[in-house]
Amino acid sequence: VHSTELSSTTVMPDYISKYTAVASLDQRQTYKDEFNAEYDEYRVLHARVENITRRFTQLDAQCRRLQPGTKEYQEVHEEVLQEYKKMRQHSPNYQEEKQRCEYLHNKLAYIKRLIADFDQRRAQSWS
Amino acid sequence: PVESSMTGDANCVDEILKEMTQSWPPPLTAIHTPCKTEPSKFPFPSKDTQHAGFPG
Repeated sequence: VHSTELSSTTVMPDYISKYTAVASLDQRQTYKDEFNAEYDEYRVLHARVENITRRFTQLDAQCRRLQPGTKEYQEVHEEVLQEYKKMRQHSPNYQEEKQRCEYLHNKLAYIKRLIADFDQRRAQSWS
Repeated sequence: PVESSMTGDANCVDEILKEMTQSWPPPLTAIHTPCKTEPSKFPFPSKDTQHAGFPG
């Protein structure tokens, strides 16, 4: 269980100060390389969270369609518990992985934006 | 105090579903643009430029 006090102080992510506006093609390449270096890890984590989320979303939809108290309803509930147990065994650090993926998502989106801004400025300077 | 197993399970399932069905954004796409893309517009009058390399 995480303390809620941590979130009360606004912590600026480390990448905001590390990555600044792109000013040269060399810098662009460096940023792109660093994006690519973490992109594979990001995609693996993202796909894992996506699959698990999809699975539970399906079960959630089934639960909502069924009448509480019926045998089917109980069975789907049981399936949710089993699926959750399986997930905990398979990925004991699921929440950490999900957080890591969210961090990478924001970081990589930030780098990508800096590169896109640079490309746009460059295109405009030619026109 | 231990909750009765039935309600405990139901609450548990509700909490699991709530936790595990939080919306998840689609993945970021890779950076596609090649580094050496030439801008499509040139600042010179077109009569001074060759049309070599024009994509056909």
